[in-house]
Amino acid sequence: MPEPPPIQQLSADEIAEIEHEAAAYPTRQPLGLEALRIVQQYRGWVSDGALQALAHYLKVPVAELDSLATYYQLIFRQPVGREVMLLCNSASCWVMGCSRVQKHIRQQLNIGPGETTADGIFTLLETPCLGDCDKAPVMMVGTEMHRQLDSEKIDALIRALRERHHSED
Amino acid sequence: MATITIDHRPYEVDDGQNLLSACLSLKINLPYFCWHPAMGSVGACRQCAVVHFKSAEDTRGRLVMACMTPVNHGDLYSINAPEAQVFRAGIIENLMTNHPHDCPVCEEGGECHLQDMTLMTAHTQRRFEGLKRTHKNQYLGPFINHEMNRCITCYRCVRFYQDYAGGTDLHAFGRNHQIYFGRQENGQLKNGFSGNLTEVCPTGVFTDKTFSRRFVRKWDLQTAPSVCEHCGVGCNTAPGARDDGKGDPRKLRRVVNLYHRDINGYFLCDRGRFGYEYTNSPQRLYQPLSATSEPLICTTANGEEKIQQPLAPGDAIACFADLVDEALHNKRRLIGVGSPRTSLENNFALQTLVGRENFYAGVSAREMALLKLSDQILQDPQLYSPTTPEIEQADAVVILGEDISNSAPRIALAVRQAARQVQRQRADALHIPQWQDASVRELESGSTPIFIASVEQTDLDDIATDVLHTAPQAIVEFTKQLTAQLHVASTPEDKPGTLEKVAAALRAAKNPLIVCGTGLLSQPLLAAAAQLAQTVACQHSSKRCALYLAFPDTNSVGLVQVSSATRNLDSLSQLLDNSDIPTTLIALETDFYRQMHTSAADKLLADVQLIHLDLLHNATARRADLVFPAAATPESEGTLINSAGLAQRHYCVYEGSGYIQESWRWLANVAAACAARAGGVEKIPQLGEIARWEHVTQLSDALAHAYPPLAPLAELGPEWNALLDGERVARQPHRYSGRTALYAETAVAEQPPPRDSDAPMNFSMEGIPFAGRDPLQTHNWAPGWNSNQAVHKFLTQVTGEIQGGSSGLYLQREPETFETFETFETFDHTASPGEAQAESDTFVPVPLQRLFGSGELSNAAEAIASVLREPVAQFHIDDAQRLQLNSGDYVRFRGFAGKFQVTVGDAAAPGCIGFITGYTSPLPTGTLPAGDIERVTSNTPGGSG
Ligand code: SF4
Ligand code: SF4
Ligand code: FES
Repeated sequence: MPEPPPIQQLSADEIAEIEHEAAAYPTRQPLGLEALRIVQQYRGWVSDGALQALAHYLKVPVAELDSLATYYQLIFRQPVGREVMLLCNSASCWVMGCSRVQKHIRQQLNIGPGETTADGIFTLLETPCLGDCDKAPVMMVGTEMHRQLDSEKIDALIRALRERHHSED
Repeated sequence: MATITIDHRPYEVDDGQNLLSACLSLKINLPYFCWHPAMGSVGACRQCAVVHFKSAEDTRGRLVMACMTPVNHGDLYSINAPEAQVFRAGIIENLMTNHPHDCPVCEEGGECHLQDMTLMTAHTQRRFEGLKRTHKNQYLGPFINHEMNRCITCYRCVRFYQDYAGGTDLHAFGRNHQIYFGRQENGQLKNGFSGNLTEVCPTGVFTDKTFSRRFVRKWDLQTAPSVCEHCGVGCNTAPGARDDGKGDPRKLRRVVNLYHRDINGYFLCDRGRFGYEYTNSPQRLYQPLSATSEPLICTTANGEEKIQQPLAPGDAIACFADLVDEALHNKRRLIGVGSPRTSLENNFALQTLVGRENFYAGVSAREMALLKLSDQILQDPQLYSPTTPEIEQADAVVILGEDISNSAPRIALAVRQAARQVQRQRADALHIPQWQDASVRELESGSTPIFIASVEQTDLDDIATDVLHTAPQAIVEFTKQLTAQLHVASTPEDKPGTLEKVAAALRAAKNPLIVCGTGLLSQPLLAAAAQLAQTVACQHSSKRCALYLAFPDTNSVGLVQVSSATRNLDSLSQLLDNSDIPTTLIALETDFYRQMHTSAADKLLADVQLIHLDLLHNATARRADLVFPAAATPESEGTLINSAGLAQRHYCVYEGSGYIQESWRWLANVAAACAARAGGVEKIPQLGEIARWEHVTQLSDALAHAYPPLAPLAELGPEWNALLDGERVARQPHRYSGRTALYAETAVAEQPPPRDSDAPMNFSMEGIPFAGRDPLQTHNWAPGWNSNQAVHKFLTQVTGEIQGGSSGLYLQREPETFETFETFETFDHTASPGEAQAESDTFVPVPLQRLFGSGELSNAAEAIASVLREPVAQFHIDDAQRLQLNSGDYVRFRGFAGKFQVTVGDAAAPGCIGFITGYTSPLPTGTLPAGDIERVTSNTPGGSG
């Protein structure tokens, strides 16, 4: 029996962007990761439904795509907040006090790694080395790098991000 | 050969291999996880570390992974160097930080490779005190348990499931500390070889769910060598049985692989592994039954079915003997119906009792003709049936009509390996050893040309370079054209079509392979395949060509050897139609209602007295006058001949419950009863030796004399009274528990174990306990090796032959070139699918095979039965549109019993309607006019045929 078609569909924009990427590869086989990134860009995260829709579109087994998705830390298989804070916990940052930073974030936002604030703004994740060891401890939020973190810097960052999102709403 | 030194001792080893397999071939213990004999090395687990010294002066050396190190002449290694030992113990200790240490409740316990390796590295103290990571488990269907916490991340499961077996629904998820092996969501594993995960996984993540229901430890199972009874491939199995001491008749607990290099190697298919449960089915017969004329209250019998009551075995034998007596006095005729799903010995006993002229094969004329034709083809000296390793090396494969993934599954797994032959050749050219699995798989190379012609999509389509989904007749045409194309000298340079491409591939191949079989019920197809193979042979430098023909049943080839082409179920029907001599039909393990249409079977059985010897209370048993409970394959000893013509003996693993005994023994009992009445065996010479037979090997010897092709049977396996060093072979391991306690509930005295009068084996722990000392011993165990990985101790070398040689002997077929093909006469003159042409608005019925569904016995296995679908009729999408049918609709066919669920596929053959064999009695014959298809409104209650 042919598999029933997926309930969710990819949008025309998503498809267009995936096909644009596809043109850059000699075969379609390595397309999965880029396609996941594109879907996530449009939807914030990759739900089971989106995963199935993508697997159906790319004609790859859904398990293969999920294997890829769960391997890459920056592909989110659960909903995340609007700001994802990637706090480095590799050796240099650990030496320079990333646990202190993490503790402070918990005090301010009441979230630990893998959790999202109730207002849906912040998600905290741990990440391996961000390549800025001489400025440890570091954290990446969006495309911005925040270096030599201490409590004041974190407070200021949280305040700024929160204001931005509240004014947007 | 290379000489290497390990811990100051020199060893001769085959070069080209890696150090780990060299050590294991030398029977030197070295721990490992990720390496697998059939799948090679990836160097992932770091468990096989040893020290490699640059020269005799080098005293420090460096750690290397044995599985990734090619052996070279003069190499110096140390396994026992302290650095290596400490490193290996450290690896285990790390792995164990996350392992739950739940051996007492783990079903792998006692045969766990992780336990063995932990002990071997002497990591016996746990120092880790932290939290262990935990996972949620998945529901993986009725066959396999999942307990992910036990995983040690060796990746063997996905390497087997994806890389080796082509499965797509088992993957590794996540990363680092949280790697998870499972499906994307809960659900049954779809690959037909999923059961091998239970043997491939070195821990208790994947275990056999059917075994779980009545679990015992490996050391509490008794085993003996057996042969899978679920298709014609003849894989070797080691069934494990145990009596619970409380009277539960269901003794067989599981089936695991028994290594045979030339057939199954390390793997079985899921029908073979899980099909055993039929022996424990509620339908199982345990005592003789006789039909009674007295009306019974509360009977469930209906229609032609008889009301039956249990009968004491002695009385049942006496009743049977009365009928034989009448026959001996010419007052009645005895007719025997033999079976392709039971041993030659059982068939031979029946044949001897009724006489050759009264022995009919329990298959239709159409099937008999196909079997005879296939057998004749395989006599051709230019053609040979390849072994599994030979199939894996094929570099051009043409599969014609036969859906081997479902009809000869283990062969399909071998063909899947052939898909990589071109890649392996490329590796050879680049001097990359074959066991460097990851490197070889990464190589860019073309794929092995594999062409598949079939009536529907098959599980091998993903490795095919070309597929053709079409009607049987078109496959025959294609095959003939391909043969013609081979005679054309050259291939057109530009744009060769499929035909030209396949012909060119066959011509260029070093190891060409043609695969066909009886699955499509087409004699023209078989003949065309044979002619193609002959043509390939003529053009090949060796003047030979491999042709694998898949036969439907475990002993189809055996039955053919002892049966006449003209004595089959159709000719039997004719015979009975035209005579009124009182007749007793003795049906040996044959269900007429599976082999014939209901109406035809009813008619056949209408005026005869029926004696039925069988395993299950099936439709035929329900209308028999006398029923005898027969021993199943693992409950008896006998000889089966597989599709390749290899005669193999299966041995009795355990004594059947109740009054179960081998069919031939019932027949011998009857003959003995007649002899006693007549005043001696010599008084009834018509019955021959049968009354004297006490050991199955006497029947094998008699068969060897009676039929020249079966001559090897005289040499096959030990005589019942043979001894090795004065000993018999123990079926139970020496740690088998409860010998004195098992039956203490009912009697304190210890019962003597049953005697085996067919093989030199004991139903106890007395005797030869180790595999390797005797081929009859299958308890796969060696000191330090409780898991199935112990098998390397009994092989001449890793992936080599079992010590003492692979079991089985090939038939002695008269070499005879297959020349002309005249259709073997069939009594049913309607066209068989390969001959029928669909005219406008008629359809050709075509048989489809299913791993679960087409096996007679396995369909009665509990777990398999739970996943069977209702009978389907499969249409091509265009045909369905024309008939306005959708997937999920129900249809009936005029003149053919049962209703069918419609499935629509774009890969189904146009103009055909596919029916799954095994669900229904045989296919509708001839063509089906569209007008005969009736749609059934959804809530019509539907009996299936
Ligand atoms: S599930 Fe078993 S086979 Fe798979 S990685 Fe884990 S331990 Fe290895
Ligand atoms: S391939 Fe055939 S013989 Fe082998 S395990 Fe499967 S059903 Fe049994
Ligand atoms: S067996 Fe050698 S690294 Fe795993």
